[in-house]
Amino acid sequence: MSYLRRASPLHAARASAAALYCAALVTAAFLTSHPLVLLMLVATVLAAAGACGVGARVGRSLWLSLPMGVAIVAVNALVTREGLTVLARLGDGGPLGQLDITLEALAFGVKEALVLVVIVAVAALASAAIDPDEVLRSMRRLSFRSALTATIATRMVPLLALDARRIGDAQRCRPQPSGRLAVMRAITANALDRSLDVAATLEVRGYGSARRPARARRPLSRHDLAFAASAVAIVALAAAWPTHFSYYPTISGSFDAAALAHGGALALAALAPFTQRRGISR
Amino acid sequence: MSRADAICAGVALAATLALAGCGLGAGGKPTHVSLLVTEGFGAETVLSKPAPTIVGADTVMRMLERNANVTTSYGGGFVQSIDKLSGAGSADWFYYVNGVEAAKGAADTKLHTGDHVWWDRHNWSAAESIPAVVGSFPEPFVDGYGGKHLPLMIECTQTASKSCKDVEDEFASIKLVASLSCLLCSEYNESLPVLVGPYATLTSAPAALKLAGPVSASGVYARFEDGGHRLALLDQQGRVVRTAGAGAGLVAATRYRGQPPTWFVTGTDSAGVAAAVQAFNAQTLDGHFAVAVVDDAAIPLPDSAP
Repeated sequence: MSYLRRASPLHAARASAAALYCAALVTAAFLTSHPLVLLMLVATVLAAAGACGVGARVGRSLWLSLPMGVAIVAVNALVTREGLTVLARLGDGGPLGQLDITLEALAFGVKEALVLVVIVAVAALASAAIDPDEVLRSMRRLSFRSALTATIATRMVPLLALDARRIGDAQRCRPQPSGRLAVMRAITANALDRSLDVAATLEVRGYGSARRPARARRPLSRHDLAFAASAVAIVALAAAWPTHFSYYPTISGSFDAAALAHGGALALAALAPFTQRRGISR
Repeated sequence: MSRADAICAGVALAATLALAGCGLGAGGKPTHVSLLVTEGFGAETVLSKPAPTIVGADTVMRMLERNANVTTSYGGGFVQSIDKLSGAGSADWFYYVNGVEAAKGAADTKLHTGDHVWWDRHNWSAAESIPAVVGSFPEPFVDGYGGKHLPLMIECTQTASKSCKDVEDEFASIKLVASLSCLLCSEYNESLPVLVGPYATLTSAPAALKLAGPVSASGVYARFEDGGHRLALLDQQGRVVRTAGAGAGLVAATRYRGQPPTWFVTGTDSAGVAAAVQAFNAQTLDGHFAVAVVDDAAIPLPDSAP
């Protein structure tokens, strides 16, 4: 998934404010233990992606998190010894010990899987809606060389993929195509040759003697302020809202109006900046 | 594979899983299980439940969590605190099932009918492992340990002695039939041996040699010295608190390697053995790791006297 400029408030906000917003959504997922609130957070991220015009792309990322989520639920159920409601007894599992599947361990696994879904969805949203070049530019003042290295590396990855496709096509034209290892060897050799060229070019252009750049002053836009305020509100709501839900030793908590209100408040705080569409070019 | 073969294979698989303790739901519930939670080698009782709440085929950990306020760590495999008493420094929670230290974690130990589960928070600086304790008497003689019943064997230096007969009578009073035999006569039979006689006469038994060694080896906070003619009583740190001579007795249990626990009703001499026999009953041993008898007084071990 790569960044595409769209007419949306998140795209219009500066990269640091948008990144702060995404980080707040992930933080909220870690701070929340109620499954209903987490489900509503997933829906909120999807709604935010929809408001940015990248809903379909972020929705597709959920397919990526699905097998990982299932694996988390399965591993947690098998490894965790906690929980008092035994659903199935699988006997002695050798190094894994007594394998009893408990309702609580399954529920906690589902909660962890939901956290993962939020993280993957937010990562997809960030990669689709935050300009990576602007993120790297903002990092220049912190660590110039790291930012430069990251910029070059991110530019090289698509190039390597293109190389692989090109060399693979060429290999297939042969009467007896060689295997993937030969393709990998060719790509690695190309990459090493190219790295020398890049290093020489950087040296010639004087990047080695570069200093920390001056701060680029840019006034805060209404979108910057809205997303920064939203990030603060999201973290505050996730941390301070007293929605109780515990998994061990027995599940304690309910799917009540308080949980709905918590999820609703988080959704409101997260989606409010998208109502401000003034000044966004279409 | 024909349909009949498939059905046979399915039935065989289901039977194998059932025999391995697998199945849906909580499983069969063991009966006559008791729970004791103490502190300081049994000195203070935190919780005592003769009939604790059990749901299905619970593990020791699950039973504890149902009956006490427990916090755990390492994915629920290690007890951090019971009723807000947490392990700290060199004090931690240990558990014994029918007086035998478990080889596995509490989350992996299944309960069996008749199990007496004893959790104790104690200082482990002197002995990291205490393989067996006497405070669950008459267990493990009644219900065995780890779901395994073993025959009771009383091994006496002199099978015709009054001490030997008194120990046999004590077991008879709880309707247990014991085999009387000479020392080490059951060495190659898997049994629960109770060795009766002056310590100096028991030293041919490998487990008995541990009682002359450090507490870290035997798990018993007492040791015989001077060829078994003196009995040193130790405190929680493994320091000698007092030393008794003639007439001192000891009721203790330990294990030699992976063998079943060996119990000792012994003393520095015949009078000491007689004193130990007097202490060999459920009332005196209840909730103690081991009991020494000095000047006709039963002293729970580790010794707390100044």
